[in-house]
Amino acid sequence: MAVVEQAQPMTTPSAKQKQVGQSYWSLVWWKFKRNRTALIGGIILATFYLSFVFIPEFISPYALENTSEYAEASPTRLHFVDAEGNFHARPFVYGMEQKVDFVTRSRTYAEDTTRMYPIYFFVRGDPYKLLGLIPTDLHLYGVDQKSNPEAIVLLMGSDALGRDWFTRIMYGGRLSLTIGLIGQIMTIVFGTVLGVMSGFYGGAVDQVIQRSTEFLNAFPQIPLFMALAAAIPTFWSPLAVFFILSIILSFVGWGGLARQVRGLILSLREREYVLAAKSAGASDGRIMFRHLLPGTMSHVIVIATLAIPGMILAETALSWLGLGLRPPLTSWGVLLFDAATVRAIHNTPWELWTVPFIIVTVLAYNMLGDGLRDALDPYGSR
Amino acid sequence: MNEPLIEVKDLRVEFDVRDGIVKAVDGLNLTIQRGKTLGVIGESGCGKSMTARAILNMIPKPGKITQGKIIYHRRMQNNGQSQLDDIVELTELDPDGKVIREIRGGEIGMIFQEPMSSLTPVYTAGIHINEAVSLHHLTPVRKVGDQIAEQVLAHRAVTKGEAREIAIEMLRRVGIPKPTQRVDSYPHQLSGGQRQRVMIAIALSCEPAMLIADEPTTALDVSIEAQILDIMRELQESVNMAILFITHNLGVIASMADEIVVMYMGKAVEQAKLVELFKNPKHPYTQALLRSIPQLGKKEKGQRLASISGMTPDPFNLPTGCVFHPRCPMFMPGKCDKIVPSWTKVDEEHWVSCLLYEEV
Repeated sequence: MAVVEQAQPMTTPSAKQKQVGQSYWSLVWWKFKRNRTALIGGIILATFYLSFVFIPEFISPYALENTSEYAEASPTRLHFVDAEGNFHARPFVYGMEQKVDFVTRSRTYAEDTTRMYPIYFFVRGDPYKLLGLIPTDLHLYGVDQKSNPEAIVLLMGSDALGRDWFTRIMYGGRLSLTIGLIGQIMTIVFGTVLGVMSGFYGGAVDQVIQRSTEFLNAFPQIPLFMALAAAIPTFWSPLAVFFILSIILSFVGWGGLARQVRGLILSLREREYVLAAKSAGASDGRIMFRHLLPGTMSHVIVIATLAIPGMILAETALSWLGLGLRPPLTSWGVLLFDAATVRAIHNTPWELWTVPFIIVTVLAYNMLGDGLRDALDPYGSR
Repeated sequence: MNEPLIEVKDLRVEFDVRDGIVKAVDGLNLTIQRGKTLGVIGESGCGKSMTARAILNMIPKPGKITQGKIIYHRRMQNNGQSQLDDIVELTELDPDGKVIREIRGGEIGMIFQEPMSSLTPVYTAGIHINEAVSLHHLTPVRKVGDQIAEQVLAHRAVTKGEAREIAIEMLRRVGIPKPTQRVDSYPHQLSGGQRQRVMIAIALSCEPAMLIADEPTTALDVSIEAQILDIMRELQESVNMAILFITHNLGVIASMADEIVVMYMGKAVEQAKLVELFKNPKHPYTQALLRSIPQLGKKEKGQRLASISGMTPDPFNLPTGCVFHPRCPMFMPGKCDKIVPSWTKVDEEHWVSCLLYEEV
């Protein structure tokens, strides 16, 4: 009997035994998902990227260029209880009546309680192509435009051209979020390749690379950004401006990463496995990118994650200064540029709805990066 | 019968450091025979490892080979049939060039002292072995149970399935239990002995003509050491591989080597066949080394283990004449501190570098 009892734990591996046989990345995931803050950050970002970058056309009720007569309208209120006090399970909006004060030239809107428009999910509206491929006209929510063309729902108000501000935030997120990501990917490529070479070869290569990062760092950042951004010809297409801007952002950002990677490589290259790889006939490039680079990856991922908000903020700042993306492109910086006048803050304060989106994105990135830092060191004591 | 594989001739490796020039290897001569084991023994810092590194042209900066030649009698495999001989001067090759990279790992394998850190932490044992194989475009392993058949050397890329089979077979050959599972193990999941076996498997996966073992068992405990040495001997016999075995452990070398070179401060002081050296050591340094082996049952009460008097000299300020003279019990004033001894043949296959055996 005793033998059987001893043998049993061998045949049914406990959770701990399973963990021993797992790969690095499954250990990372195991640790990451126990960190609730990081998980929330990750979920927020996943939601933002999915809804803003991939399917803003579906999430927003109108097309980006869809203007209306309701200029500078305050956010439409959703109602459940009508003027007679009856409860409706389906929320509805009232029709709006525009009044213009000809002295102050400001517009005010009043709800016309005689006209009720229920809000539907998956409503048909402006046609678009989902993911640029599938032609459809489904939107996540909205009023039935076929039967009530004058009805409008503006969850976050509208701008001077009567465009739905919520729609603009969605589309603005697409550019702001991708520019941060693309810029950071390019930073990783520049930074790690140059950092690895700098650390591995040392000597003259190291000198050249390190002196250039110092040269870049010695420039005051904002004027450098401005000079580079101002050099973009105005006649370039908005898309070209977008890519050039992300290159500029990564051009300024790679230095710090290159230094950190170099430092890591300096310690890793003295490890015996480098010698072992060399004695097995591996070339320099193979040693650098197959044996040394993976050792820096956990560090690079954390640094990069924590640096993406900086990229997003830099884009926002540049566009706000009027040097980055320009209309007709819509980014969060462009939207802030619109909202950055005293008149706008006085008359259309809802245009500041952009700010919470930026703050939440930046916070979510920090939460995620922090969790990754803990998780990517799965053998650490914590 | 003896056929030279590597001939080191008058090798000198110097390190140009801030305090001056250190001669890590100073005028070393040795010959490694095909299929035989040459043991190199000496204290820490006597230039054993640098000799090994020089053979692979892997001297770390700021060191460089300032003198001498390392001649490699390369045997080219031609369709697995005829063998074309080629003589390569290893020290003259570009240290990052294609030829030396083919030789490293492919024809001369190397295993290191520290199995703990010799495997890249992010790759499994299988990936390590496959890397070595794919670097040299070989499918080196005979199919199981087909040991007599001519070695299969196909110069082609292996498929994923084949690569895995090769890795498993190599792990089995070096005696790793459950190789089908261990092939997917990461270095941190393996014990020190298993890691050293994986290192040996990597080195042997390309069936090299020579294996350089740089203190391969120093970091392992004694029972594992014996197993590793057994594996190396077995594999040497099965593939007719030469071994350059570097160690400071006389017990280990006695069980491995056919011939032994004793090094002191970058110079060879004595070279002889294994039995001859242990029975009839000529150089006072070798004699002192052998006296310092602890022997069971031979110790009398109160007697301390013999040690070599004095310290190893300052490498920047080497003694004149024979470098061993300040520590030598047979020091002859006026001779040993003035005259540099030469490489003298004292017996059949027994050379020594000592003025006791020279007519001066």
